[in-house]
Amino acid sequence: MHAIEYDELHDELIVSNPFAQAILTFRGDANGEEPPIRVIQGPSTMLDAPDRFAVDPVHNEIFVPQESEILVLPRQANGDATPIRRLHGQWRTGYIAVDPVHNIIVATGFANKDPKADPALLIFNRTDNGEVKPRAVIAGPHTGIQSLHQLQLYPDRGWIVASQFLFGDEQKPGTYFVGIWSINDAGDIPPRWKLGGPKTTLKRVRGVVVNPKYKEIIIADMVLNAALTYYFPEIF
Amino acid sequence: MKATIGWFVFLAVAVGMLLVGTPNERELSTASQAAQRKPSGYPQLISVEQLPATNGEMCSWEPASASTRAKIVLQERFAPQTETPGQKESSSIPVDRAPVRVIRDNYPTYSAVAVDTKWDEVFLQDENLTGFNVFNRLDNTPPTATMTEPKRKVSGSKTKMDFNCGLYVDPNSGDVYSVNNDFGDTMVVFPHAANGDVAPMRELHTPHRAYGIAVDEEAQELFLTVQHPPAAVVWRKMAQKDESPVRILEGRHTGLSDPHGITLDTKNQWLFVSNHGSVSYSKDGKYFSQNLPARPSDGVQQTAQTAALNWVVPNTLWFLGMAGGSGKFEPPSITAYPLKASGDTPPLRVIAGSKTQLNWPASLAMDSELGELYVANDMGDSILVFSAGADGNVEPKRVIKGPKSGVRTPIGVSIDLKNRELWVSNMGNHTATVYSLSANGDAAPLRTIRSAPQGTKARMIGNPGAVSYDSKREEILVPN
Repeated sequence: MHAIEYDELHDELIVSNPFAQAILTFRGDANGEEPPIRVIQGPSTMLDAPDRFAVDPVHNEIFVPQESEILVLPRQANGDATPIRRLHGQWRTGYIAVDPVHNIIVATGFANKDPKADPALLIFNRTDNGEVKPRAVIAGPHTGIQSLHQLQLYPDRGWIVASQFLFGDEQKPGTYFVGIWSINDAGDIPPRWKLGGPKTTLKRVRGVVVNPKYKEIIIADMVLNAALTYYFPEIF
Repeated sequence: MKATIGWFVFLAVAVGMLLVGTPNERELSTASQAAQRKPSGYPQLISVEQLPATNGEMCSWEPASASTRAKIVLQERFAPQTETPGQKESSSIPVDRAPVRVIRDNYPTYSAVAVDTKWDEVFLQDENLTGFNVFNRLDNTPPTATMTEPKRKVSGSKTKMDFNCGLYVDPNSGDVYSVNNDFGDTMVVFPHAANGDVAPMRELHTPHRAYGIAVDEEAQELFLTVQHPPAAVVWRKMAQKDESPVRILEGRHTGLSDPHGITLDTKNQWLFVSNHGSVSYSKDGKYFSQNLPARPSDGVQQTAQTAALNWVVPNTLWFLGMAGGSGKFEPPSITAYPLKASGDTPPLRVIAGSKTQLNWPASLAMDSELGELYVANDMGDSILVFSAGADGNVEPKRVIKGPKSGVRTPIGVSIDLKNRELWVSNMGNHTATVYSLSANGDAAPLRTIRSAPQGTKARMIGNPGAVSYDSKREEILVPN
């Protein structure tokens, strides 16, 4: 499983099942062998292998990146729901996050379909629909971006918090880190902060989430098989 | 009364000044003010005295009981001013600091087990610390011992093991086969005596999400399950690098749905696969077969030339191009096929239904002498035993389950026909447990190899692909 979100507004857990082409929503305190309260699945959904997604609990939408398209599904849908919007274009996406305050979505991926394109962060308007281009792209050698994974947005301060590791070289300094950019950044901009290095003990940074109440960043490391919490007041 | 007290205070101060010497103007003013002050029932500012200027550096005060977080706060408060983030576009502010908390299991968790009766050893696949541990077959951890140390341990970056799942030990050579599930996309092979951080002696490039392994020693064929798109892929046993498979079982009619375990009944020429149930299909059902190099038809002897055909494994990491709307949740099952099944072959038999108790069935093992199929029933905390010919919604012949059994989240099973024993690797409690092949019910194990202090529950974090935070309950959510 490569994606999970907690919706604090509605106290719900959302996960994806790419094998079964489904998005599953559970009660917030679900435990044991408890069935989901909603399942989005079926031919109308256009779901292919939903491995990652993002939930906007304010506007009640779920965003699902599928390479050169992003499906927008109703959060409260159950069953064979039709997307309410579909972004598509000459770009490729992987992980995604949504900021309902600034009304943007940020995705990892590539700004075009050139196999040699620089890996990037793509910023779209939340309400974009149809064939669109990103409103901003963060890419280039100064960004340090090689292979981004889970990312999270912090709307209160307008930060993009993105995890990176490069498979095969994950233990080389500089290839694994959590980078923080601004949602107003564009171009070949390095992250404002880079959390990484020997003291962090990180090996392969795969997931990241922020905890504003305690000013912490929590990271999932898939080599250590661990969840590590860092005090990071700088971004809060 | 109050005026009398004030008068006496004035006299006392005046006498004191006469005794100690000539008071200065400041002292007189202070005394005068003190004499005239009256009780108000509230705290009163009595005096203010400025601290002398510091004459050099001082150590920053730090409470003796300060936590790590408090120390960091203090360090940051008094740290020299740094540049405002974003003002310079040429660099980032590096942050290299230790975590304040870590959730991690420091002990092995065993995802597979393989018995080697030639050397009387047992191999345990450690998915948590990434490697495999080797013990003597008769090792039995005393209850008072902290754990049993392995006699050999293969682990480290040179091994190229990564989220290691399936495990097989060659009964003749003792070679050890280990299957990587995520990112590694390889099966690696080590010599029997391998120890430490060593490179594999052979590697085979596999599809992404390969899981279980079985080998037909007679036919010299190697079988791997692939979770998604669902398939069972067969190579020459000694295949390596990009060598193409000899057969692929895949398609809408196969009944494969997130396949995990695989085992063979070479006596009856059957192939068994355990399925978790989540499935969707490619548009024509042929995902991995789409670019297989042409081979001689069945029955024609493999030659060195045909054996070395290269295969470009179709990418399944990102966008898959599956048939829209084909996704479904099938019940967990065991599907049986002819041993040489290929293409979109339907199963001969399907064990599925509520009576079977199947719940995320993982590894499989076959007692070909008695015709019994053993299932590591992950989320059922049990070992299920079925007849090899079982079909439909049938109850298992035997079920090993219960607190005495020590079975907890079992992922691996292996059969020792020589000694008539069943081995189970328990992911939930850092152990491998051994039973008689005829064991049933809440049967205590004959022996237990334990790799953590008694009673230590496993954290069960395995290959975490993301993380989330429940702000209401203040809980960290880790999907595996």
